[in-house]
Amino acid sequence: MKSPERLRIVGAAVYDPLNGIQGDVRDICIEDGRIVAQVPLGTPTLNARGTIVMPGGVDIHSHVASSACNHARRLLPEEHTAEPVPAPELRDGEAPARSGTGGTLPSTFTTGYRYAGLGYTTVFDAAVAPLTARHSHEEFDDTPIVDGGFFVLLGNDEYLLRQIETGNPDRARDYAAWILGATGGYAIKVVNPGGIQAWKSGQRNLTEIDQPLGSSRVTPRAILETLTDAANSLRLPHPVHIHCNNLGVPGNARTTLQSMETLAGRRAHFTHLQFHCYGGGAGDGWSSAAQRVIEYLNANPLLSADVGQVMFGPATTISADAPIEYLLHANSGRKWTNIDVELETGCGIVPYSFQERAAVSALQWAVGLELFLLSADPWRLVLSTDHPNGGSFLSYPTLIQQLMDRDARAEQLKRVNAKLLAGSVLADGLSREYTLNEIAIVTRAGPARLLGLRHKGHLGVGADADLTFYSRERNIARMFARPRYVIKGGVLVVEEGQLRRAPAGRRLRVSPGHDTAVLRDLRRHFNAHATVAFENFPVRGLRDAPMEIG
Amino acid sequence: MSSSFQHVTCLGCGCACDDIVVTVENERIIRAERACPLGVAWFGDGRVPGEIRVDGHPSGLEEALDGAADLLRAARGRLLVFLGADLTCSAQRAAVGIADRLRAVTESVVSENASAGILAAQRRGRAGCTLGEIRNRADLVLFWGTDPDEQYPRFRSRFTPLSGLHLRRGHAGRSIVSVAIGTDTGPAEADLHLTLAPQEEVAALAELRARLLGRSLGDPAPWSPELAGLADRLLRAKYVALIHDGERSDQQRPPERIEALIALAQALNGPTRAALTSLRGGGNRSGVEAVLTWQTGFPFAVDFSRGAPRYQPDRRAADRLDAGALAAALVVGAPTSVPETLQRGLARIPTVVVGPRASEAPFPARVIIDTGVAGIHEPGVGYRMDDVPLPLQGVLPGPRPATETLIQLLGRLVPGRTEVRS
Repeated sequence: MKSPERLRIVGAAVYDPLNGIQGDVRDICIEDGRIVAQVPLGTPTLNARGTIVMPGGVDIHSHVASSACNHARRLLPEEHTAEPVPAPELRDGEAPARSGTGGTLPSTFTTGYRYAGLGYTTVFDAAVAPLTARHSHEEFDDTPIVDGGFFVLLGNDEYLLRQIETGNPDRARDYAAWILGATGGYAIKVVNPGGIQAWKSGQRNLTEIDQPLGSSRVTPRAILETLTDAANSLRLPHPVHIHCNNLGVPGNARTTLQSMETLAGRRAHFTHLQFHCYGGGAGDGWSSAAQRVIEYLNANPLLSADVGQVMFGPATTISADAPIEYLLHANSGRKWTNIDVELETGCGIVPYSFQERAAVSALQWAVGLELFLLSADPWRLVLSTDHPNGGSFLSYPTLIQQLMDRDARAEQLKRVNAKLLAGSVLADGLSREYTLNEIAIVTRAGPARLLGLRHKGHLGVGADADLTFYSRERNIARMFARPRYVIKGGVLVVEEGQLRRAPAGRRLRVSPGHDTAVLRDLRRHFNAHATVAFENFPVRGLRDAPMEIG
Repeated sequence: MSSSFQHVTCLGCGCACDDIVVTVENERIIRAERACPLGVAWFGDGRVPGEIRVDGHPSGLEEALDGAADLLRAARGRLLVFLGADLTCSAQRAAVGIADRLRAVTESVVSENASAGILAAQRRGRAGCTLGEIRNRADLVLFWGTDPDEQYPRFRSRFTPLSGLHLRRGHAGRSIVSVAIGTDTGPAEADLHLTLAPQEEVAALAELRARLLGRSLGDPAPWSPELAGLADRLLRAKYVALIHDGERSDQQRPPERIEALIALAQALNGPTRAALTSLRGGGNRSGVEAVLTWQTGFPFAVDFSRGAPRYQPDRRAADRLDAGALAAALVVGAPTSVPETLQRGLARIPTVVVGPRASEAPFPARVIIDTGVAGIHEPGVGYRMDDVPLPLQGVLPGPRPATETLIQLLGRLVPGRTEVRS
C-alpha cells in the first residue's frame, strides 16, 4: 500500500520548541510532505496515543558520505566482518532493500536505514574535500531516507590562502561562493586553519593562532577571520563551521578561547567543542577547561557549538586534521591511513577506542557532559559525537539518557578512571537534568536553526513533514533508541519500530552568487597547478535544486 | 561534419587524463588529441557492436532480459556476479545491487598484485596522496621497480614534470631515483639508479626502513652502502613520492613486498613527509573498489550468499568455479577484463554478459547484450587511480539502453533470493 499523501496524526504529545509547544496533545496534519493547518475530513489517521512526537532529528556534524569515510571503511574490514547487516524487510512495492555492514563506519545503505531508525531525518557530512565532492554525492545517492548535505574544506586551500597572503578578502569570498556552487556543498568548513598545509609542507603543524604559515603572512587567525566574514557576507544559511587548531591536545582551551575571541561579534560555529576544552599543557598533564570555554560561549550570542561528545566504546578517528591523526598513530601504534589532497586539504584515519579505564578517555567524556550541563542556551550548544570520532551515532540514545538522568550519569561516573577528574565540575556533582523540551532543542530544533534550515526542526505549518514518535518509557536510552514511528517527508518510514519504507532523501546545498571575475583567475590557477581540468571540477546534473539564500 | 569534445576523460589507464580533445565525424572518433598511445587505442574509432543474442541467435531486448532472468532464476546454487571494466559508477552501483538481490558471490577486475596491495593496506593503513601532490610537492620521486612510460604513458609528464608549485625552479627542484628489481626497471633518465635482485627486494626495503628509523639490521648485505646513500637522500627530501606498479610485474612478487613498501612510506613520515602511489590500470577499476566499499564495507571479493556482505579475499571466484561451487554467472562490463583463469571456468556454467563488446566475449555465454563503453558512449563518473572521481562524457551514441538501466531492468525480473538453493 502506498502511503497516503495526506495524513492526520492524533493523540501524540507534541514537543516543538520553536513553536513553544511542550507536550500538548494536538493533531498534526500532513499534506504532500509538508505540515499543513488542516486536512479534509476522511483523511487517513495515525493514532499515536501514548507517544511523544518531535521533529525528525538533525545531525549537524557527522562523517557519513565522503571519500575520507570510504578510505576509513576500506581500512576496517574486521569491523565489517564482525557485523553483517541483512536488508530490512520493507513493505511490498518498495524498491529492494539492501544489505550492508555495520561497525563504526557502516556501509551507505545501512547508514541511511540506521539514522532513520533512530529518528534522524537530516544528516550533514562535516568534511568534504572539494576535489572529491562528486564522490560524496554518489555516496549520498546510496544513503536512503535522510536528507543530506556536506561542508567543504577551505581552511587550508592553496588558492584561498593566496588571497589572504595578497590581502584580497573579496576574492576569497568569491572563491568560497564558487566552490560551494561547484561542489554542491552547504557550508564552509575550516579544519585546523593552516595546520594541514603546514603538515603537508614539512612545517608539521601550526599550534599558535598567530603563527605564520611558512614564510607567509597567513596565520590561523587570518584564515578564521577571512572565512567567517566570507560566510556571513554571502549570507549562507550556516556560518563558518570551525574545527580549531590543537584538537585533542592538553592546554588547547587557550587556542579555542583565542579563536572565539577573534570572532566574537560575528556569527560562527565551533564544532566538536569537547575536543578543544582541555587545560593543562605539555608536561603539565590534562584537566578540564570546559567551564571557561562554555562561559565564554554562553556570553557571546552570535557564537554556537556542537559538543562532539566522547562515548565509551569503539570509535574511528577520521579527520582532515592529518597532523593530529599522525600523532595519534605514533602514540597509539594503531594502523593509520593518510591521504594528502592536492591544493586543498589532508585526511588522516586511525581506529580508536575510548575506554572507561583510560584516564584521558574519562576526562574527555566528562568534559563533554560539563559543556552540556553548563550550557545556558541549548539553541547554541547542540548534540553531536562527531560520528564516528567520539563514538557512533548509535550512541546518541545513551548520551540523551546521561543528559536527562543524573543517576545514569552517576553510574557511568563510578565506572571511569577518575585520575584526571580532580576539580571537574561533573565529578563535583552537576545535578542538572535535561528536559524533553531541551532534548528536542539540542537534537533537532537547535541544529536546524543553526543550519538555517527553515523547514526543518519544527512542526509549524509549512515545515517538512519529518517527525519522530517515541513511546514513553522509564528507560530513556531505550526510548530514544527505537522510535515507534518515523515519518520522513510525509512518508511513514518506521512503523511499530520497524523500518518499512526507504524513499530517497534530498540533497541540501547552496549556490551563492559571486563576481565572475574570479573565474578567469581560477582557470589560470587550475591550468598551472591542478590535475583536474577546471571545466571538469564542478559537479553537474544534481537532482535537487540549491536552497534559496537570504 | 565533425564535432569535437573538450576535456574528455580517458580510461585507457588509471591516470584518467581529463584533458583529451576528441573529434567525432560520421559517428566515429577520428582523433583523440593529447591521448597517449594507450589512450588512442582505448578510444579507438569508438565503434562498438550492438548485438543482442540468446543461445547464439539474434534476439530482442525483452526476450534477452527474460532469458537472462530465467537463467539466473533457474540456477541451483551460488551465482557469480563479475564486475568488469569500462562501467560508469552508476552501472557498478546497479551491478552490486543485483548481486545483493541474488545473494551472489562477486568477483571484480582486480589483479592479484592489486588485491595483495589492498589487503596489506587493510592491515597497516597507508600513507598516500592524490597525484597532484606529487606534481606540486615531491622533490624526490622514487620509482620502485617501475617505469610508468609503458603502461601509464602520461604519468610522468602530468605528475612529475620538471616544475611544481612548491618546488624550487628547474631540474634541481625534483630528483628522480630508480630502483630496478630484476628486469622491472625504472626510468632511464633517473638521477640515481640502483638495482636489486628480486629475492633481495623485501630485505632491502626492511633495511631501508631500519636506517630511516636510525637502526641497522646488522649483517650488512652487499647493497647496504648504496641503500645507506638512498636512505640519506630520502631523509633530506621534503616530500618523497614512492611509486610502484600496483598491477603488474615481470617477476612473481612475494606478498610481503607491498607491505614493506607501505611500511617504508609510513615510516618516512616521522622524519619528513612521504606518500606511496600504487599505479593502477584503467577502465574505472578504482571505481569498482570504491562502490563496493561504500555499499558493502569491502573493496572486492564480496560474498552475499548469506544475505549480507562477507569478505572472502582468500576464496576467489576462479577457485570456486574450479570446485564446481558456482551455478551461473552474470558478467557486467567488458568481458575481456575477465581474468583468463575465470574465463575457463565460465565456459562450464550458464553465463549472461551485459557490457561493452559482450558479443566478442572470449568465453561462451548464453545471453549476450552489447552496451556502450563508459566514458565513450555512457556518461557518468569514473575514478582515477588515486580515488579522485572524474566526470565521464558520452561522445558517441552507443547501444541503448545504458548498462545501468539494463541491470535495473534485469533486477526487476529476478525475484530477490531469500536463500541460496543447492
